[in-house]
Amino acid sequence: MKKVSCIFIVDDDPITVFGIKKMLKSVASCDDIQIFQNGHEAHEAIKERLKEGKIIPEVVFLDINMPIMDGWEFLDELIALDIKEHITINMITSSIDPLDYKKWNGFKNRCPYTLNFKNKPIFKIEANDLGCMDIAS
Amino acid sequence: MKAVKKVDQFYLLKQLPKATALLCKKGILLDASCSWLDIFGLPPQDETTKTKVSLLYSEIPDLKRRLKENKSFSLQHKIENTDGTRYLKSYFAPWFDEKENVIGTIIQTDDITPEVQKEQQIDWLNNILETKVEVSETGWWEFNVQTEELSWCKETKRIHQVPDCFEPTTIEAINFFKPGYSQNKVSMLFHKAIASNQSYNTKLMIVTFNGEERWVRITGKPFVKDGKVIKVFGTIKDIHDQEIAETRIKEHQQLLSTLVDSLPLNVYVKDLESRKVLVNKGECNYFDKRVEELIGKTDFDLYGEKDAQISREEDIQVMKNLTPIIGKETVSTLNGKTTHFLTSKIPHFDLEGKVCGLIGMSLDITAMKKKQEELCNLINITSMQNQKLISFAHIVSHNLRSHSANFSMLLGFLNSEKDPQERKRIIDMLTQASDNLLETLGNLNQVVDINTKTAETKKPLNLQNNIVKVLENFSALLDKDDSQIINNVEENIEVSCIPAYLDSIILNLVSNAVKYKSPNRTLLITINAVKSTEGVLLSISDNGMGIDLDKYRDKIFGMYKTFHNRKDAKGFGLYLVKNQIEAMGGSITVQSEVDKGTTFNVYFNEES
Repeated sequence: MKKVSCIFIVDDDPITVFGIKKMLKSVASCDDIQIFQNGHEAHEAIKERLKEGKIIPEVVFLDINMPIMDGWEFLDELIALDIKEHITINMITSSIDPLDYKKWNGFKNRCPYTLNFKNKPIFKIEANDLGCMDIAS
Repeated sequence: MKAVKKVDQFYLLKQLPKATALLCKKGILLDASCSWLDIFGLPPQDETTKTKVSLLYSEIPDLKRRLKENKSFSLQHKIENTDGTRYLKSYFAPWFDEKENVIGTIIQTDDITPEVQKEQQIDWLNNILETKVEVSETGWWEFNVQTEELSWCKETKRIHQVPDCFEPTTIEAINFFKPGYSQNKVSMLFHKAIASNQSYNTKLMIVTFNGEERWVRITGKPFVKDGKVIKVFGTIKDIHDQEIAETRIKEHQQLLSTLVDSLPLNVYVKDLESRKVLVNKGECNYFDKRVEELIGKTDFDLYGEKDAQISREEDIQVMKNLTPIIGKETVSTLNGKTTHFLTSKIPHFDLEGKVCGLIGMSLDITAMKKKQEELCNLINITSMQNQKLISFAHIVSHNLRSHSANFSMLLGFLNSEKDPQERKRIIDMLTQASDNLLETLGNLNQVVDINTKTAETKKPLNLQNNIVKVLENFSALLDKDDSQIINNVEENIEVSCIPAYLDSIILNLVSNAVKYKSPNRTLLITINAVKSTEGVLLSISDNGMGIDLDKYRDKIFGMYKTFHNRKDAKGFGLYLVKNQIEAMGGSITVQSEVDKGTTFNVYFNEES
């Protein structure tokens, strides 16, 4: 069981959120799991945490298609915040649009954090989704 | 006594009317008549003068020898003096005394200047005639009516290709003309010339001695004496080559003009001042004018000032730089009708190679142009529809996939879940996922309907009535909040629309305004409609929350895009509206400012 300080789940679909939370139970122990309906809410929360000196989420589950601020826009804003701590971001989407995959590749090159691409449906959360590749192997 | 006699003799000599002189045996002038002395310009003679006659006839070197022969002879000579040349003829005869002894020579001299001059003139005239015959290649002939003798000149014989020794009879001459028309005609003309004193000048064909058929121009002119024709004089000229050349030129012209006229092009030739000097049928038909009405006209006489100026500048460019314009697309407006041409202008050179104007050719490509535009439109529509189809396919795949993924995930959980409480939760979730899927399918079906039912007929609908009908649905909602709707749409405005779509468009836009009203202000919706030549513009404005278009312009009409945290926002209404208005050939645009309000402009296309 991996100990994670803080996890953000950013998705407007309650079923997906339910699933992620359920799957997390068996692989990680985390006291600080936060749910957000869209990128904008998550972004505001991170800014708040930075301001107050609270811990930054270690792992982010990020949907792409969301209202107000989608996953890509959130990524842009996150990179702009220039956070020094390491973050593992899991892009979760049901999209099989090759354009989304291309976009992910582009982001991967300029994103200072680990950026995973996970296609729905998800059945299990892997160790490296939690940013612990070394321990897992 | 002897002396007196002698004096008498010489005195008599002086007076002789005919210029006469006496020489001694040595050839020295003894004395002469005044007229003789006058001819040679000599003073009166006596023993002292001793004029040697050989000096007077310096041009005749053997005069001395001939005098010694004591025989009569005559010779011609001339004297040059200030009045010009005098031609003379002198007769020399031995001078005998009573005993028949030769004692000298008697000379008699005639001035023959007029005769010589006449002769020279005749020579000159003959020369001229011969030269004329030679140069003009015109032969002559002469017929003596009384003797029935016909004579041909050398040139005439050459034309008939007969030897110089050939002397024709009248019958033979007439037989040289080609049997049929030519022969009959010449017989008749010749007969008329003799019988009724008629001249003639005509073009006929002969068959030469060598059997060649050649065109000739013949003339005949009778000469009358005492009221009777005594002679017929005429000329003959070989005009075969000119005739053939002329025929060929005529044939070429015929070919060229047929060609130019039948070309499916407007062809014109312009001079340096851009005046038309030649136009073909196509050009006449285009202007609906006759050739005479177009010749001499410039484009300024035919087109509007602007078109004419453009054309003239092209003309100048072609004639100045000698570079042709080939296949340039031009537009001309004539009597309000616009024609597209593929125009070529080529510099026109005279025979000396100097530019003297231009040749223009214009192909009417209006029909082609229109087809091309239609094709372009079709391609645009097709590619737009294709784009729509692709994006729709993505939407479908994405939305369906997201639900099926949820099913898979939840079913996976259910399989391994033992806790009955948790199982119930999962089953609730499954039910929710199923409802979501049904709703999504419903939405997608609606979109497919719009895009497949474009054939459904549009009807003219009264805009005002339809707006009022839709607003009735909102009355309860609006009354509750003191919301206000100002409907400025005039009663008589009609739009061509599919009825269900018009309702959907109005409903969605108004409900959007209601949904996103400002929490700080009473809602005010203003509806306007403007009718123009392009169609009807319906504007629905609110004073609501507004939307940041810098961020969301690309997405506002996208499917499942929402921009505010509202539970009832599904991101489908505007997508539907856009699909419906575009399916009817119209369009929709948006203007908005955050916390001020939003205006949607709907353009109804009036074409059916």
